[in-house]
Amino acid sequence: MKKILLDARDLEHPKPLERAIEILRTLDEESYLYMVHRKNPIPLIELAKSQGFGVRTHESNTNEWHILISKNSQIVLDEYLDV
Amino acid sequence: MFSQQGLSLEQAPPIFVVLRFFFAGSLFGVMAGIALLFYREEIFDPSSVAAVTFTHILTLGVMLSFMFGALFQMLPVIAGVVLSTPVQKANFVQYPMIVGTLMLLWAFNFDAQSWIYAVAALLLGLSILYASGIMLQALIKLPNHSASSKGMTAALAALSIAVLLALYLVLIRGGYLDGSHYLAAKEAHYSLALFGWIGVLIISISFQVIEMFYVTPPYPPAASRTLAFVILGLLVLFGILAFVYPQLRPLKESLMALLLIVYALITLRRLSQRKRPITDATVWFWRIGMGSLVLSMLMLVARQFVSTEWIVGTSAIFYAAFALSVVFAMFYKIVPFLTWFHLNSQGYFAAPMMHEVIHPKIAKRHLWIHLATLVCLLLSQAFAPLTLVAALLMIFSFGQMSYLILHARRVYIKTQKEGERFDMGA
Repeated sequence: MKKILLDARDLEHPKPLERAIEILRTLDEESYLYMVHRKNPIPLIELAKSQGFGVRTHESNTNEWHILISKNSQIVLDEYLDV
Repeated sequence: MFSQQGLSLEQAPPIFVVLRFFFAGSLFGVMAGIALLFYREEIFDPSSVAAVTFTHILTLGVMLSFMFGALFQMLPVIAGVVLSTPVQKANFVQYPMIVGTLMLLWAFNFDAQSWIYAVAALLLGLSILYASGIMLQALIKLPNHSASSKGMTAALAALSIAVLLALYLVLIRGGYLDGSHYLAAKEAHYSLALFGWIGVLIISISFQVIEMFYVTPPYPPAASRTLAFVILGLLVLFGILAFVYPQLRPLKESLMALLLIVYALITLRRLSQRKRPITDATVWFWRIGMGSLVLSMLMLVARQFVSTEWIVGTSAIFYAAFALSVVFAMFYKIVPFLTWFHLNSQGYFAAPMMHEVIHPKIAKRHLWIHLATLVCLLLSQAFAPLTLVAALLMIFSFGQMSYLILHARRVYIKTQKEGERFDMGA
């Protein structure tokens, strides 16, 4: 699986959302979005879920959010979690 | 928008609820400019009809419209408050508020018949108390409060008391009550409306949005946890004491000045600590707002020692600049984002990008117009003809905002009608 990394920790609102949606539109079956953010981006997660994507979120010990989104909802995203 | 609390945009109201409050606020802003065109330097005499009218166009017409619009949008997503049937609630609030404001302005200027005051009071009182009531009720029920939701609660409580005092004042002006406590009630009304409502609401929103929009360190917890309720508590305490000890007013104003200056300096410091030092117009709107707040409060303190019309007028101009600067900063963040995100969440492939809804260059131009308006108003106290320029700039400023809202609405409807919905195919 190809990882498309989006480090949004230093991006000003609403850039993280804007860039993530751009990536989601181009995602294929063999790739997934790996987003690192300072907040839990609920609107993005809901949008992705409504479109049938697979979504996994995890808050690290350093209070950073790791959000994994794949076009193929059958993929076990836990395996790709990098914390 | 800005969801951090586990709730989504789906729980926010339809975009048009927010846009129509903003549109009404912008039209009242145009009206403020027209009023300035007619009244000119009369507005600098605090006891004049011109000053009372101009103040109420700005506070009731402009600020209240923008702030209610922002609250309808932000309460669900910032504070986690769900307002059911938002369109119906917005109708109950907005239409009587507009008619009531216009009737009150009419009564101030043309026809002080008691029934006009009574109807204006009824419409404004019911609509504003209804809005603050439903919002307060939902906020109080929240199991977990953030600094912002606590602050919003304090601000809405201040608004409710300010409105009750306003009803009392209107009933006196309409001849329904004797005016034995008129001055103390008027003083408490102004303080609660300006510091308690406008000031505390801006403070509580900034606790959330400064960190999020501009990637800054958070506010110190000591400030974000306590400031809003300390301000509200002091205003209520001094408001009650003023009925017996009116001479305490300088102490109250000095304490307000101290607290608000500390807040403004922390905000300016946070804005200088942004992780990405890219500066857009909205950062500068915040900076102008905070700078204006500091200067307004310094003038408020100076008034205790040298009370001249110039100092009183300058303090008022800077306070208005504080509030309007923050409104403009939020406007240029909220309108493009909402338009873009609502369309994206509905799956429109051709949803315009945010800069296509409102281009950052327009915000930058507005910044210069806003600054020029502020400078003209300040100088017009010494050179009266400049009020004409300030009035025209104000009309242009709010006229442009009205146009931008209509443009965003047009873009939104056009995309919904003609746009192709994307299916990400997942």
